Amino acid sequence: MEKAKINAGQLFVLIFLFEMGSALLLSLGIEAKQDAWMAVMAGMFGSLLLFWMYYRLYLFYPDMLPTSYMQDIIGPFLGKIAAYLYILVFMYNAARVLRDFGEMLVIFAYNETPLFIINALLLLLVVYITHKGIEVIARTGEILFVVLYVLAVTGSILILVSGLINLDHLKPVLEGGIGRILKTAGTETLYVPFGEAVVFFMILPYVNRPDKIKPAALSALVLSGINLSITMAVNVAVLGVDLTERSQFPLLNTIQAIQVAEFLERLDVFFMIALIVGGFIKISIYFYAAVIGASDLFRVKEISRLVFPLGLVVLFLSMVIASGYAEHIREGLHFVPLYIHLPFHVILPALLLTGAALKKRHSVNKRN
Amino acid sequence: MPYRLRRLFKSKKQQAPSSADQKEKTPLGTSLKDNLKEFKKRTGNSSDVVIRTLTTGGMQWEAAIVYIDGIVDNTSIDEFLLEPLLQLEVPTTPVLQQDIPDYISEQVIALGGIESVLDWETLFEAVTIGRTILFIDGAAKALSTSTIGGERRAVEEPPTEISIRGPREGFTESIRTNTAMVRRRIKNPNLRVKTMKIGRQTKTNVEIMYLEGIADEKVVEEVRRRLKQMDMGSILDSGYIEELIEDQPSSPFPTIHFTERPDSAAGNILEGRVAVFVDGSPFILHMPAVFIQFFQSVDDYYSRSYIASSLRMLRIMVFLISLYAPATYVAATTFHQEMIPTQLLIVLSAQREAVPFPALIEAFIMEMTFEVLREAGIRMPKAVGQTVSIVGALVIGQAAVQAGIVSPAMVIIVAITAIASFTTPSYSMAIAARLIRFFLMVIAATFGFYGLILSFIMMTAHLCSLRSFGVPYMAPLAPFVPADFHDSIIRLPWWKAKERPRLISGQNNVRQGDDLKPEAPGTQSIRKQRKNTGDLNED
Repeated sequence: MEKAKINAGQLFVLIFLFEMGSALLLSLGIEAKQDAWMAVMAGMFGSLLLFWMYYRLYLFYPDMLPTSYMQDIIGPFLGKIAAYLYILVFMYNAARVLRDFGEMLVIFAYNETPLFIINALLLLLVVYITHKGIEVIARTGEILFVVLYVLAVTGSILILVSGLINLDHLKPVLEGGIGRILKTAGTETLYVPFGEAVVFFMILPYVNRPDKIKPAALSALVLSGINLSITMAVNVAVLGVDLTERSQFPLLNTIQAIQVAEFLERLDVFFMIALIVGGFIKISIYFYAAVIGASDLFRVKEISRLVFPLGLVVLFLSMVIASGYAEHIREGLHFVPLYIHLPFHVILPALLLTGAALKKRHSVNKRN
Repeated sequence: MPYRLRRLFKSKKQQAPSSADQKEKTPLGTSLKDNLKEFKKRTGNSSDVVIRTLTTGGMQWEAAIVYIDGIVDNTSIDEFLLEPLLQLEVPTTPVLQQDIPDYISEQVIALGGIESVLDWETLFEAVTIGRTILFIDGAAKALSTSTIGGERRAVEEPPTEISIRGPREGFTESIRTNTAMVRRRIKNPNLRVKTMKIGRQTKTNVEIMYLEGIADEKVVEEVRRRLKQMDMGSILDSGYIEELIEDQPSSPFPTIHFTERPDSAAGNILEGRVAVFVDGSPFILHMPAVFIQFFQSVDDYYSRSYIASSLRMLRIMVFLISLYAPATYVAATTFHQEMIPTQLLIVLSAQREAVPFPALIEAFIMEMTFEVLREAGIRMPKAVGQTVSIVGALVIGQAAVQAGIVSPAMVIIVAITAIASFTTPSYSMAIAARLIRFFLMVIAATFGFYGLILSFIMMTAHLCSLRSFGVPYMAPLAPFVPADFHDSIIRLPWWKAKERPRLISGQNNVRQGDDLKPEAPGTQSIRKQRKNTGDLNED
């Protein structure tokens, strides 16, 4: 473990930015049609339960990284395998977000720039900041949080002022019934983006005031849920369900629709800043978790030694993960939730929690 | 080659004692003649060394005074040293030969600081700072008297830090004057001044000043440790020290703040910082420094808080403009034409049509021209200064556009950048921005807005990773310290600023009393009075 501490406020900011990350830009829960915003909220509430699970797990071992306590719960051999798998998952996720992000930039602004260059530049930045450690990631997060919020508030005001919002697009409410919302939440929004907060069980041991983790983390989840839900509602209200469904980046289309005073138009740069800031923090946290996990598992004292080699791995992984954008998206929709999100975000933590609880009870009984 | 080896060893052996000699002290002799001879030998007969022999004590004691002309106060030597010595009568009770120096120092010399000197090293330290040495024949002891003086620049208005409201005096090159100016502002016995001499050749006086009980002791200790570690040949300005004790010398951003204003230095010491004074430099360093401090001017504290806050935010915004304006122009015209509103785009491209260079080259030409002009303006003698401004106005202005080398829009951008870069109160921060701007222009021309956003994040991450003497550079913004926020990008009124910055003063955070907020003058008491007298028709 790195010798560093972050405070609860920084944890809040990191979780918030992480959740907003790439989710802000995608059409979240659009399967629920005009009730997408409700699906996002439902997913958020479900994720509170998931996070409670990670938090309980942390409470059993407040000073240890998961990669260490897994070995304590399910034995050194299985524990090491599980820890190794988690490191792989974090690296895979980092590569996935990096690819998402690179593809978006290529599609919307840099048609002629090779994807590799775009990914490599961002990864260089991620490597740099990971090399500096969690404290610097957290502090940078605090400043980027303000930047993102200023953009969000300005953007919202501009959307309101330009009279784009048509609330009729959001009606009829609950057309498909509660079932459709719950189904969308259960199959999609619960895992992406909210379930991805599993990566924070690698970060929790760094927080200096354990009693403040719960309020900070849960309020960050709730706030990000509300913000994402508002974003989806605004997207649907501006574009309509049809367009939102077909659009690759509904937020971009919404922003492009802004026209104020015949001067403030085509504010694509807003979208770009949100995209890069969000993607950057998300990749950094995944990558940091992978690096710190690897240093813990393989007993490498200096994390800076791992940063460059693992960074290269993530970069190449992001290139070979899929042969094209369509394949990448299809993998993301059909394989990732089943083989990565469900086992590693839900099942494995649940098993670990049960194991830890049994172990604790066992040792208490023994002492008695 | 045994012979060579032996020679090698021999030479080493010979060298070793000589280097030890330097630290050993050679005592003075008893004979006046020998002492003066030795003194002349050691100073190599320099022409500014004055040696005046005399007899005193009623023509019976041979003596001599020596000093270096120019750094001594001649009046005090004449009136308080020479005159009493020359007029000294034969003492009523006989004095032993070796006690003469004590007798003279106690009964004759009318100067404040007198020390007796026993060896040559101390003697030269004293002479070189402007003290006068009195040799007396027959005593292996000389007297060093405080006659430091000489021509110094008077206290003037600080030329680099202008304030509208606030004191007009600035630091000078004399370290004593400088410490006195701060002491006059902080009348507190806890204000500590510690001296050390740094520099093998220059032996410059370096003093650290802090408020005991308010400054963080760890920082004081750290400053002292870093200063002691320095084994410099020479120190001519506080810049030398800044470069050698800062945390991150490789960063373009300064992690030590300097000032020329005593009020600013006093304010920083009162917040718990440590100040470093260097003899011969009108610039005082104080540390630890935080990023936001470089955008604060002393005027902020003297003007009303709304105005101060908005000016601070303006400065930060303008700092970003001075960094990003040319780069944004280059990125927008090269990569992202679609983001420019159509009408503006048409105007811009019509202007650019005649220009034979790509936007980056155009920007580089103009920015370089401006930097050259600025540098020339600083270095040029004042008498020809006007030439620069005329030539500059012609080059940057109309002529360059008419010649078709640059577009008018580019001229506007460069002008805005130039003006913007002058609003940063701290020169060292403004100069960092100048450097980074060129780097950003290249990034903008290669990667467009994507590169600019990445560079912004990179810069933020870099700033967040800096520390100045243990204090995070971006505090109180990141890490966000709500208690310190009252004096950061905004300045809340004094009654809200009950505590000193937490990260800087280690202890004793409370600086003032409660209830400082003024009420409307006497409203409460007047109301009460009227109520008592039954007169309620105040409106």
